[in-house]
Amino acid sequence: MISEITIGQYYTGDSLLHRMDPRMKFDLTFLLVVFVFACKSFFSLALVAMFTLVAILFSSVPLKMILRSIKPIVIIILFTAVLNIIYTTGGETYFKWRSIEITEKGINTAIFMAVRIILLVVISSLLTYTTTPTSLTDAIERLLSPLSVFHIKVHTLAMMMTLALRFIPTLIEEIDRIMNAQKARGAELETGGLIARSKALVPVFIPLMVSSFRRAYELAFAMTCRCYTGGEGRTRMKQMKLRARDFLALFTVIAVIAGIFVLNHFFEAVI
Amino acid sequence: MMAPALEIKNLTHYYYKGTKNQIAAVENVSLTVEKGETLGIIGHTGSGKSTLISHFNGLLKPDEGEVIVDGKNIFENKETLRQSRFKVGLCFQYPEYQLFEETVYKDIAFGPKNMKLPSEEIDRRVQNAAKLAGVKQELLNKSPFDLSGGEKRRAAIAGVMSMEPEVLVLDEPAAGLDPAGRLDLIKMIRHYRDVTGCTVIIVSHSMEDIARIADRVCVLANAKVAMHGTVKEVYSKGDELRSMGLNVPEITRIMLMLREKGIDVPADIYSPDDAVSAVRNYIEGRRGV
Repeated sequence: MISEITIGQYYTGDSLLHRMDPRMKFDLTFLLVVFVFACKSFFSLALVAMFTLVAILFSSVPLKMILRSIKPIVIIILFTAVLNIIYTTGGETYFKWRSIEITEKGINTAIFMAVRIILLVVISSLLTYTTTPTSLTDAIERLLSPLSVFHIKVHTLAMMMTLALRFIPTLIEEIDRIMNAQKARGAELETGGLIARSKALVPVFIPLMVSSFRRAYELAFAMTCRCYTGGEGRTRMKQMKLRARDFLALFTVIAVIAGIFVLNHFFEAVI
Repeated sequence: MMAPALEIKNLTHYYYKGTKNQIAAVENVSLTVEKGETLGIIGHTGSGKSTLISHFNGLLKPDEGEVIVDGKNIFENKETLRQSRFKVGLCFQYPEYQLFEETVYKDIAFGPKNMKLPSEEIDRRVQNAAKLAGVKQELLNKSPFDLSGGEKRRAAIAGVMSMEPEVLVLDEPAAGLDPAGRLDLIKMIRHYRDVTGCTVIIVSHSMEDIARIADRVCVLANAKVAMHGTVKEVYSKGDELRSMGLNVPEITRIMLMLREKGIDVPADIYSPDDAVSAVRNYIEGRRGV
């Protein structure tokens, strides 16, 4: 059934990572992603991998879920690996056929790149696994609030995003209902070629559009009735507060970053 | 013997099947609806009414049990399933949200068109359904989105009637209408039934509406059939109904209270008008003695 699709990939839990301030989580994820690119040797990359593994253990998200987040990019990983093996040359040559040469450096680079991509994806999906979409938008709103100097309405943007997320399940339910109603009138939505199928969607999308606009008007009206005037002077129900655990996480990440540079310095660079 | 219009045998449907949240939305429900009969299905919110009726035309597949329309199991093959869509016309709650065509005429014609009927036949059906559902002739060339709420509802119901189903299933057809609108709509459905002789199944939580139209009533509670019988039989068990979160019509309750006081008025009274004449009869009867 269509209503079983989950939005985002939040994994319900109450772990240390779940309870962290979303702003701190967002910042630290950003820092880590940036500094994964600063890794030059296998050892500094291994340090980040170790840290990520520990973070996964602390997050209570099952390893199976983490692996699932890698699944969609397997092809990209394989593709870059193959390109790297073929186009990077240097060191000992293992295999040569016409202009194709597989060398030690090529293989090292391929492995390095693959691990780097996997780390990037795992680190960022750890953020979305442990943070609900709403608190994520909250965090983004707060982090972008300096932009209001440039007259960018950060609050409005965040509110739009929150509302959009809020209405996804509602609209999925609505699609389900409309599809059933049209199927009851003999509409065939699941058979036929591409053109027949897209044509068959018209009776679903028009009512969906109409009801989305109706909902939008109703919501705007309800918000106006409750004196919503935008972000100015608005307080929040859920106050975000930095706690000891957030600073602990911050120091750990800083230590990891320092470790990256130290290891880069002492060990041979792969790229 | 004539096959019943619709037969449900030991139907069970689970939600979240196979997970730890598995719950039966409909549990072991059996039901027989004879041709030409009007059945009312009553139940509290969440009693499984809507899930049950979605099986009648194969929108949902039962986890256990069978759905037999006109003597044939509808899940036998693709063709029987497709035919069941046209034999059992299902009209969901708030059907006006399914309108989509440029004109009311085209929208009512959507069902017959899907049946691949010749255009003269489609035209005949649209005109006939519009008349039966009380959609005025001048509205047919208007956009359905320009209609009033009540007109939209009728246009949408006409869109199901135009398939000329053997069984018409209506889920809360009068929901959200004012009392006068409700009464009009029930009258319209009654007229439709009398003219076409079709089987009608009407789902509602309004005991008044059901009493005005149904021959037999089936009460659903907690995914199971809790009571089954004629309107009179079911409505006389006020206490049991109350325990299921349902209430007999207010006027019926007054009649039952009068009877408890030893005043011999009939218990099967479901409208204030009938009550007035019943009480008048009673008083006149006493004077006559």
